[in-house]
Amino acid sequence: MFKFIIRRVVRAFVALILFQSLLFTLIHALPYDVTAFTLAGPSWREFMQRQLGLDLPLWTQYFRWLGKFLQFDLGVSFQNWPASVSQILFSRISRTLLLFFSAAILAYLLGIWLGKVIAWRRGGWVEFGVTLGGVATYTSFAPWLGFVMINIFGWYLGWLPYQRLVNPNVWFNAPVMIDSLLARMVVTCVIACGAFLVVRRASQSIKTNHWRWTSQAGGIVIIGFGIGAWWSRSGLSYLALDVLAHLTLPLATVVLLSFGETMMIMRAAMLETKHEDYVLTARAKGLPDQVIRDRHVARNAILPVITRLALNLPFILVGSLVIERVFMWQAMGEIIFNAIEYQDIPVILGILSMVGILALIAHILLDILYTYLDPRVRYIGVE
Amino acid sequence: MLEEGSKVSTREKLRTYLLHRWVHRRWFYTHWDLFIQQPLGRLGLIMIFIFGLMALSHPILMKTLWHPTIFDPFVGFDTAIMPHPTTPSWRHLLGTDNFGRDVLSQLLISTQTSFSVGIIAAIIAVTISTLLGGMAGYFGGVIDAIIMGISDVFVLLPAPILLLIFGLLFRLEWPMVAIAYGIVTGLGGQTIVVKSHTLKIKVKPFIEAARAAGGGGGHIIRKHILPGLLSLTIVHAVFTVVGAVLTESLLSYFGRTRYYLSWGTMIWIGQQTFRWFTLEGQWHVILPPALAIMLFCSAFYLVGRALDEVFNPQLRVR
Repeated sequence: MFKFIIRRVVRAFVALILFQSLLFTLIHALPYDVTAFTLAGPSWREFMQRQLGLDLPLWTQYFRWLGKFLQFDLGVSFQNWPASVSQILFSRISRTLLLFFSAAILAYLLGIWLGKVIAWRRGGWVEFGVTLGGVATYTSFAPWLGFVMINIFGWYLGWLPYQRLVNPNVWFNAPVMIDSLLARMVVTCVIACGAFLVVRRASQSIKTNHWRWTSQAGGIVIIGFGIGAWWSRSGLSYLALDVLAHLTLPLATVVLLSFGETMMIMRAAMLETKHEDYVLTARAKGLPDQVIRDRHVARNAILPVITRLALNLPFILVGSLVIERVFMWQAMGEIIFNAIEYQDIPVILGILSMVGILALIAHILLDILYTYLDPRVRYIGVE
Repeated sequence: MLEEGSKVSTREKLRTYLLHRWVHRRWFYTHWDLFIQQPLGRLGLIMIFIFGLMALSHPILMKTLWHPTIFDPFVGFDTAIMPHPTTPSWRHLLGTDNFGRDVLSQLLISTQTSFSVGIIAAIIAVTISTLLGGMAGYFGGVIDAIIMGISDVFVLLPAPILLLIFGLLFRLEWPMVAIAYGIVTGLGGQTIVVKSHTLKIKVKPFIEAARAAGGGGGHIIRKHILPGLLSLTIVHAVFTVVGAVLTESLLSYFGRTRYYLSWGTMIWIGQQTFRWFTLEGQWHVILPPALAIMLFCSAFYLVGRALDEVFNPQLRVR
């Protein structure tokens, strides 16, 4: 097992270096020249080139950049010069994470639940309707869906604010910066999820159905009250509510766009595991239908869904680009767009390579997780 | 002697060929029956057929019914109705946009673009993934290591972002979008999936039986491995169509493509001139292409799902 992990990490590292080289080659194959836009004359242009290190030969630039990258230094942005790329990215990443983590959690919960339901009751109007609805939202054009949501809920019904990260009138003289508040909200989110998992785990031992459900609901209420009390004590809850109100529409759009895929994968995986022998055994034991569905089939069918989560990680970038553009949610997508417009090569490379690293880590964790979740997968001698 | 021998062998060949054709016909009809039993698959197939008719009808309509100066999708202008944009009427079934161009004509010519993009991308992606994934799975060793190294890199690269960066320097044409998308998706995740599937097929008993009966490498690949990969290939092709069409729409929506018409461009134009805060604005410009993207991709998705159930016996109802 340990040997397998080491080999996997080495392979990922080689892939990372290759990925970096590919990115560098692709970006520098384009005739970008940020200094061409200067109006201050050729001597200033030469000075800029020297300052940014663009006068060096390309392979020197490459090895310099790779060496810095291996020391976790992504270089200095061209566009806002003295600021380093990592500084720019970390100033914005909590916004994108807040949006996409919460959206991913909601979409996966919804998708897994619906997939379970439609796999268990084949044929009939429920399956037909849910499948059509899921496929329609999954394949709808993302900017257009955002546009529709804005028009219906934002303007026509007037329920929710749209078009900005926060309301400046509410944030006038606010005691904290937006990003620190968002980081706190992300932490709260994670703590709440962890607490919920603990409650669920603890309540598994209760055998009676209604007592288990009661204890779970009680646990959720206690967690909710605790978080509410903590936030209202900190005196920042009105700002958090403002952020949440602005978050709702993009979140709903992302969830609508992404739950269909999870649903269809979950459904297919459920149908494949449904014919296994242990399901027949469970049926023969006389277990209730719901217990077979949730405990025996769904647990084993969840592996492809997790795989898809890891493979879809780079596409969060695309999602953030589109959704944040449509809702004018100033986060990573805005940085990418600005970097592309102003030919800010270090920022483009930095963002793409960071997403690559995240995806690689996810792949490694996935492979290791597989050996725990599915004991049939053995890596000794198979690879 | 020699002539007669060759004659007999030709007849033998013909007989074998016809027998194979007959077997394949039976194969086709069995699977077609399974496919057509599913209502969602039927729906998807009908929708794809309608889109095909839409794509074919544009040149015919331009030749026969529509006057070129009025109904041209790029430079047409109707002087009889003012001011543009106009809402749907009998003269312009979906109305006109703010440049005075007929929306239906634009929709039909964009259907051609989307079809071409989807199908070219699917062919490229599936060819690459089947060839490389099959080779990696079947031969193993150094070839496997090299191909998996390439795949590990490409699976990290989101194609829309790559094309967006490229679109800065040169306006993209739709074949470029299709080819780039096909290469990136084919080399990425699809190759890995095809390889693992090939590994699964390779250890099945019938491969060993074929080898014991004296079948060579080429025979096994042609007769046993490739048919085994067919189901996966078709499903991948269908999903590549969906991805490529969405990517192309996204790029043209962001204004990164050259000025050919596609559904994304239509939405972009409609939204640029959309009068905010008036619902009587240009919904007739935005809605048809958006619904077209949704229905087109849904149709391919539904067909892919139905094919998945045809080829994967465990998914069938009975």
